[in-house]
Amino acid sequence: MSEPAVTRHSPPDGAPLDSQLAQALDEQRLSDWTEMFTDDALYVILSRENYDRGLPVGLIYCENKRMIHDRAFALMETSMFAPRYLRHIIANQVVVSVESNGTIKSRANYVVLQVLFDRPDATLHQVGVYYDVFRRVGGELKLAERRCVYDNLLVPNALCIPV
Amino acid sequence: MAWQRVASFSEIDVDGVLGVDVNGSPVALYRLSNEVFATSGICTHALALLSDGFVEDGRIECPLHQGQFDVRSGKALCAPVTEDLRTYAVKLEGDDVFIDMERPAASAPAVANAAPNCKAGDGVRNAEEGDQAGTRKIATMNVDPELSLTKRYVWPAEGLTRIPDWVYTDQTIYEREIERIFHGRTWNYVALECEVPKVGDFIRSNVGPTPVVVVRADDGSINVVENRCSHRAAEFCRELSGNVKEFVCPYHQWSYDLQGNLAGVPFRRGVNGKGGMPADFNNAQHGLRRLNVTTHRGVVFASYLDDMESFQNYLGPEVLNEFEATFDGRKPRLLGYYRHTLPGNWKLYHENLKDPYHATLLHTFLVTFGLLVAGNRSLMLADATGRHGVMASAKSERKSVSSDAKKEMRAYRDGMTLAEPRFMDFVEEFDSPWSVTMATIWPNLIIQREMNTLGLRQIIPTGPHEFIMKWTMFGFEGDDEEMTRHRLRQGNLMGPAGFLGLEDNEAIKFVQDGMQHVPGGQHLVKLDPAVAAGTSDSLISEASIRAMYRHWRAEMGL
Ligand code: FES
Ligand SMILES: [Fe+2]
Repeated sequence: MSEPAVTRHSPPDGAPLDSQLAQALDEQRLSDWTEMFTDDALYVILSRENYDRGLPVGLIYCENKRMIHDRAFALMETSMFAPRYLRHIIANQVVVSVESNGTIKSRANYVVLQVLFDRPDATLHQVGVYYDVFRRVGGELKLAERRCVYDNLLVPNALCIPV
Repeated sequence: MAWQRVASFSEIDVDGVLGVDVNGSPVALYRLSNEVFATSGICTHALALLSDGFVEDGRIECPLHQGQFDVRSGKALCAPVTEDLRTYAVKLEGDDVFIDMERPAASAPAVANAAPNCKAGDGVRNAEEGDQAGTRKIATMNVDPELSLTKRYVWPAEGLTRIPDWVYTDQTIYEREIERIFHGRTWNYVALECEVPKVGDFIRSNVGPTPVVVVRADDGSINVVENRCSHRAAEFCRELSGNVKEFVCPYHQWSYDLQGNLAGVPFRRGVNGKGGMPADFNNAQHGLRRLNVTTHRGVVFASYLDDMESFQNYLGPEVLNEFEATFDGRKPRLLGYYRHTLPGNWKLYHENLKDPYHATLLHTFLVTFGLLVAGNRSLMLADATGRHGVMASAKSERKSVSSDAKKEMRAYRDGMTLAEPRFMDFVEEFDSPWSVTMATIWPNLIIQREMNTLGLRQIIPTGPHEFIMKWTMFGFEGDDEEMTRHRLRQGNLMGPAGFLGLEDNEAIKFVQDGMQHVPGGQHLVKLDPAVAAGTSDSLISEASIRAMYRHWRAEMGL
């Protein structure tokens, strides 16, 4: 895949919002997380296998903020899964391009660690790359696109909280 | 190995059987008069200990299904046993009994009706003695019976309404399933034809746990070969998919054509006249192991047996009908994969989809948003053998939920709505009364038709406590952009992050967790007593699970 030349900004403009997103997920405040997206946001989690082969299927596939909202709502209100702690760790943020209207394309590596209550270990639940587009809405930076492309093709049992 | 002392002569009752554990293998010792004979301690038909059986007239009768073997020759004498027992050479030195497990018993008369040579004492045995003589538990040979290495596989006396935990947790049972089920008389799903459209296209797949490669050969045929080099067993194909002219094993470069024939062996004739393969080495005998292949409506199945019945027969008319309702003649188009591990026994996944009871109770999402309620028109179909099933339901309007039904289901909440309800739309595209069907095709496939999100779920067992699930999601050629996106949006229901899918995975894990630390546990599957085992039109039923275990027990000889 060819990508535009990478230019470094320090600190990357997307970084503070990345941290807020990660924190909201870690604390399982999913409605706060939802609010960090633009109305037309795309949020998809897909395997490296599908991504590389141009296959569109995603573990989570949201075409707009309403679907992200429904996802957050259903996970909090209707879904049954074992309680767990999660840590989202983001690194190697790189701004790929900044467009004239202020839209930022960036990417970052991410790791999600998961702890279940009956085992001592934190397991590496997912490792991958965010391909992001950030945009300002009314002066506030929001996430307009996030493709979470994960490398560990075999998902350990179930993905209960977004990445 | 050679002679090993295994017991003392006086321990073995006259006309009796004694079970001993020799290097981990159960052995049965029999005493007929002053002679001792030894055979393998496990019935060739089912996993029963012969030392719990009865000896009469030189025959051992298995305690489980009353098959009989000649104790001298090991010969199987009557139904249901057909395979002979292994025999072992025995010698007596004073009171010590020795056996040689690598040597069969010296040629012994294999006469079915031969009477035992003689009996102890006056040759008359009273009934009371007879009862005692036949049985001694193998555990008595162990220092501590609690630590007996020999396990028992006895189905609960209640029958199919109970399932013992060892069905899901035991390594020996698991290995027997691979042999008898996945490598036995079954058609195993391996691929969609559209995954290998061109000559040389391949994907990796599995039959049971066994890795295979599905490849389209030059003549257009689809071939399924073991992913195991016939030289040193290397799993040679490492890419998940691709296109090749031939397969070359990376270890010593043996090459195979697209049908699995061995094409080349480097240095086959050695170097400078030295080394190399024997002169009579014949490539034709060293190809990859090839499986029997069949396809139906674009779906590819493989079997280890060459004399399989047709796929249509294998499914039976009703399940075939549902299969063809989903694969309705349109060509499937690949949309992508989900793969996940699941820390539970593979059969629990079949059971989950033969258990319509859970659908409205576990999946509160369905109920909350009115997709499925206990009163919906539905069917839990089982084929005549009990191995396949189809869970089917028809979408209903939300207003049809009766207040009684609501009270039963804690999940039901009035007034909850989705911000983007269109992802739950059902676009009518199938000639079927059902909006949702989940077909469980024995032993390794689930065909998901959840309204418009379609998938094939392939079970790849990796041990009694875990399996891998590979989901191949598809649409059809001719779907427009919007239909494809609808399928993808609706895909949020399923897979390891699906609103429903994640809950099933969690629930199955909980079941496996629950069996880890409770010895001798059993499951209860009593719902719907009106149907002993088989098809039921009630959602509140476990009759299809019972039907599956009737089949499983027959296949496993349990
Ligand atoms: S193991 Fe494959 S060529 Fe030797
Ligand atoms: Fe379910």
